[in-house]
Amino acid sequence: MTQFLTLLRREWMQHRIGWLLVMLTPTVLLLLLSVVDGGLQIKLNGDDLQLPPLRQATALMQISLLVLAVTGCTLGLALLAMGFQLPGLAQRDQQDRSVEFWNSLPVGHAKSVAAMLIAQILLLPWLAIVVGMVGGLLAATLTIVASHGPLAWAAQPWGLLLAATAALLLRLTLGLLLAAAWLSPLLLLTMAAAAWLRRWGVPVVVAASLAGTLVLDKYLPTPLVGPWLQQVSAEALQALLHIDAMRTLQLHNSADWLAALQALPMLLLHDLAPLLARAVTPGFVLALAGAALGFLLLVLRRQQGA
Amino acid sequence: MNGLTMDGPTMNTLIQATGLGLRYGQKHALDDVSFSVPKGRVVGLLGHNGAGKTSLMKALVGQVAVSGQLSVLGFEPRQQRVPLLQQVAYIPDVAILPRWATPAQLITLMSGLHPRFSADRARALLRRTSVGLDDKVKTLSKGMVVQVHLALVAAIDAQLMILDEPTLGLDVLSRKAFYEMLLDEWCDGERSVLVSTHQVEEIETLLSDVLMLNEGKLVLSISLADIDQRFVALGHDPAVADAVAAAHPLLRYRVQGGSAALFDGPPPADVLALGRPLRPSLVDLFVALTRQPDINRTV
Repeated sequence: MTQFLTLLRREWMQHRIGWLLVMLTPTVLLLLLSVVDGGLQIKLNGDDLQLPPLRQATALMQISLLVLAVTGCTLGLALLAMGFQLPGLAQRDQQDRSVEFWNSLPVGHAKSVAAMLIAQILLLPWLAIVVGMVGGLLAATLTIVASHGPLAWAAQPWGLLLAATAALLLRLTLGLLLAAAWLSPLLLLTMAAAAWLRRWGVPVVVAASLAGTLVLDKYLPTPLVGPWLQQVSAEALQALLHIDAMRTLQLHNSADWLAALQALPMLLLHDLAPLLARAVTPGFVLALAGAALGFLLLVLRRQQGA
Repeated sequence: MNGLTMDGPTMNTLIQATGLGLRYGQKHALDDVSFSVPKGRVVGLLGHNGAGKTSLMKALVGQVAVSGQLSVLGFEPRQQRVPLLQQVAYIPDVAILPRWATPAQLITLMSGLHPRFSADRARALLRRTSVGLDDKVKTLSKGMVVQVHLALVAAIDAQLMILDEPTLGLDVLSRKAFYEMLLDEWCDGERSVLVSTHQVEEIETLLSDVLMLNEGKLVLSISLADIDQRFVALGHDPAVADAVAAAHPLLRYRVQGGSAALFDGPPPADVLALGRPLRPSLVDLFVALTRQPDINRTV
């Protein structure tokens, strides 16, 4: 376990500047906006009909939307960065020849690859969610204190907000885990292709996907490639973002919003069952099998050390 | 046991290799290589570029699969790579430390990754160099990187150190500093070192034994103490060169003030009388055994 944690620490040491840049940019921008005149504002009495509809909302609704927006932006940036980085990660140690140093240490190849994948595919997005939520709450705090003073800040229902945020964090954590699992065959096989074929890896994966979808599927009795790609993408999105239970919420006014926030933890709990049920399907098992193949190819490549 | 042997494994044997073979396509990287390394030896693995040194080193630490039988510290390297590397300190090549890291970070990481690594000892060794704990590897010269690498590796409580061309591309001062640190901080008479190089003349004084590879074949496996007994160098006048050549020396070469010939075993008495004995140098032996495959022999 010590070795695995150290390998995760290595990921942090090597990528911390990029990670911090990605994770803190939205928060820092918002924090700056919250302290400059004419920047971010939260209106405490949201019944002024002269204002646009969003600005008429209550402080609670504005704070919630702010937290969601910062979390979404931070997570989006992190996922974008991860997408760009993943193919290169597969061969980063080969490129600077440090793979020979790492391979000279008494650490299993599978452990090294697993630590990299967990850090990049799970920990980075998860940290982005946490930083986004904390950043949103901080920006809201700073904005309210700067505009209305600390008493106005203390008057807000922070307990309710924190409970709802924590529930959302748990839901997104599980969602992230499942989304990563659904997408893992695509991610790991792309990485494996990049590790074995170097700069041709990504083009080959894209070409193979297109050939499978546009050509192979036409000759098969039942199309396989296209529908499978659609399924894993849709399931990943569903696992991460689509919260079935939220459909029942009515958010017409501030009272609705308050009720929704109060009900959110239970709603998210009820949403877990269908989410997990989707993971007990042949499609999910197939996705894990594809991921296992990608993982094996990555380990074999690392074992070669070239 | 005095030096390298062809005997079977004993309590004192750290490496036992029998009939090792490795091919890359049609080329033999290793061809029926057999040797053993006992405790407390400093063994030079000599050979030209492409002779098979790196392949052998990688086989010893389980990074490439070879045919034949190989035991390192009692482990089968390919199958037991992780437990083996807990007891072997290995520098695979020069300047391959991760460029983004600092020595301090590498010490932290190695503390968590290597159960026999001493962070305190690594810091103490690094203090003897000009490298700071917070200097990025990418800002260091090649010589400094090698010093850092040796300091890290020498802080591992291991029985065997394997060094693959550790001073390749370094200037004289860096090479000297490297070998001084190796001797001072590692060699204690119990632990063994296997170091590969083709800079033969520089490490001759450090070695207790030598292995010589040529085109994948082990052409010499001998202790330095035995070299003088087995090989005879004869300095002679150019006028008797033909008579000396007729005795089929391994090598004929120039020395200051005349010519010389190197024989495997004592030459005939009449040839011996034609010149004066010289001490055969490792360099001459290296040239003799690796420049002409047709006269090489597996020893």
